Amino acid sequence: MMPTLSHPPSSQPTHMVQASNTVPRSQEIDHHTFQQSTLTTKRWLTIIIFLSAVSVATVVLCLQFGTQYIGLGEMFGIIWRTITSFPGTADSDVTATILMQVRLPRVLLGFLAGASLAAIGVTLQALLRNALADPYVLGVSSGAALGVSVAVLFGVGTTILSVSALPLCGFLGSLMALAVIYRMAVSYDRLPIHSVLLAGVILNAIFSALIMFITSILDPNRSFGMMAWLMGSLTAPALPALSVFSLYVLLGLFLLLRHVGVLNLMAFGEDAARSLGIDTERVKRNLLLLSALMTGAVVSFSGMIGFIGMVIPHAVRMVFGADHRLLMPASVLIGGAFLTVADTLARTYAAPSELPVGIVTALAGGPFFVYLLVWRKDRMS
Amino acid sequence: MKRRQQGILTGMPFMANITPRTFVDDAGRNIYIAKAPARVVSLAPSITEMLFALGLDEDIAGVTEFCNYPPAALTKPKVGYARPNLESLLALKPDFVVAPQEFLRAEILAKLDELKIPVFLLEAKTVEDILVQIQNLGKIFNRTPVSDRLTKAMRERISEISGRVAASGKRRVLYVLNSHPLITVGPGSYIHQMIGLAGGLNIASGTPMPYPRLSMETVLGEDPEVLIFPVGSLEGIPKSEQQEWNRWNGLSAVRHRQFRDVSSDALNRPGPRIVEGLELLARAIHPEAFADDPVMTRP
Repeated sequence: MMPTLSHPPSSQPTHMVQASNTVPRSQEIDHHTFQQSTLTTKRWLTIIIFLSAVSVATVVLCLQFGTQYIGLGEMFGIIWRTITSFPGTADSDVTATILMQVRLPRVLLGFLAGASLAAIGVTLQALLRNALADPYVLGVSSGAALGVSVAVLFGVGTTILSVSALPLCGFLGSLMALAVIYRMAVSYDRLPIHSVLLAGVILNAIFSALIMFITSILDPNRSFGMMAWLMGSLTAPALPALSVFSLYVLLGLFLLLRHVGVLNLMAFGEDAARSLGIDTERVKRNLLLLSALMTGAVVSFSGMIGFIGMVIPHAVRMVFGADHRLLMPASVLIGGAFLTVADTLARTYAAPSELPVGIVTALAGGPFFVYLLVWRKDRMS
Repeated sequence: MKRRQQGILTGMPFMANITPRTFVDDAGRNIYIAKAPARVVSLAPSITEMLFALGLDEDIAGVTEFCNYPPAALTKPKVGYARPNLESLLALKPDFVVAPQEFLRAEILAKLDELKIPVFLLEAKTVEDILVQIQNLGKIFNRTPVSDRLTKAMRERISEISGRVAASGKRRVLYVLNSHPLITVGPGSYIHQMIGLAGGLNIASGTPMPYPRLSMETVLGEDPEVLIFPVGSLEGIPKSEQQEWNRWNGLSAVRHRQFRDVSSDALNRPGPRIVEGLELLARAIHPEAFADDPVMTRP
């Protein structure tokens, strides 16, 4: 049973900043109370079904574009043949190989990575009540990046179950960062939000410095490859790796989606949440750990893709309101679709070479976000 | 483009407005060097190899920590590569610095200019660039007989090797510089040109960049017959990482087990040893052309 909530002011600081300049405070709260009260099951269903349809259409469309265009009929034909044929008797046709072994894994990875980054962003922004919180704020991503850098430094190129060891090293690095966060979480009886933020920023600084150090002692030829990885790249993962990643991330997304009610309360203020019988410390610890574990996996597979985790939740909040029951699933769908489109641009724009996807997300999404900010301001005044 | 014109122009007699002791480096800077330098610092392994090949053993005052060839380079004082320490560089009292254009940081260059230490920048986009660089260094150090002999021998060996593989026809080649993400060589890099000289057809020919990230879709579409992995002491693709390529079993190179290691030291360094690199590359792409000649023709 979800208690009716008025809008939690602190979870929406960008709004507050712009709103306080233009409209009286009372009006702003009215505006959100209005949005809040309109989240009926019908509105929720309509929006989610619409966004799901858009996501599916995006994925299908992105599957068609690449170094060569694959028509809809041919595409579904190949997928059908692959499903119906015996396992192991892979299609030898080049188009089929490209679609099934390169594009499909890559689009799936992109969608799941984007969805995860956005969901983690929503969670952390609510939990830390900070507008600038994103999946990287915990220092987990730079931990993962450090893991990969160390692997490159020592020439670790081993494969485990025919899967590259680099994601694994990245994940170990993120676990190391996670250990520090967890240590903090258990050593403080109560985990103050500002220490989490501060520790994340400091961890980021330390790890970034170590990465820089490794880059500076590496032969430029080798650091070149490492820098390319750091800039974010979705390369087609091998099937076993992709399956593990998908199960892991889907479980994480499911758990985050189950917490939308608690997030609404947490964003409202910890004291208020506690007074409603929420064990806020446990919720904070669990969700921080979950976010960190998911960030580690995403960074290990796709490098450092900034922007999505921070900006998608804000953009979705501006359009659909701040209720996490809608904000979370909408961010998941839009985040996934956004990264899928960005990666399609990254691999087609300069084909046959590729652009680092992190650059595309920022360049394509940034102006749109600025437009949203301005547009919202106009509409409200 | 501008730089290439200068490469052509340096040998032309009508550049009379430039004194004979003024040299144009690959960044297009005019550098006046009154007499042959006596204490030179090299800021790249390839440059160190060029200087040693010109017989300047005594004049080399410092090299980078990555300079491991010839063995004499290991005994020279070390300065950094991409981030040389300015103090240790100055402590070597150089009267001439030769540096790679793409890796030297601008502030180091500015400081050396301020201190009136001439810096000669090199950047190789083609094999011809490397030969021109050797000849320029020969002129700067008054070693033209050595540099002429060296470049002539290199030219002869290049044409000998490319002549050998010419009859075999072109084989489609992918040069794997980095696997995650996939980075290879494209037009505008001398290695791309060397693949052509070695009887290969670089599958990344359609990219506009010298060192592009290549999409796996392109690789599958172009279907390379040979995968080249540079392998060396400092850098390279280890065997275990090469095994990952086995999952792309649609590729001809994977089906026919055409994975080839080539010494990255010989190939990735734009210096006098590229002719060795070229031979290794030609042997990797066309082993049949060297079937009756299993040993390297020259050391």
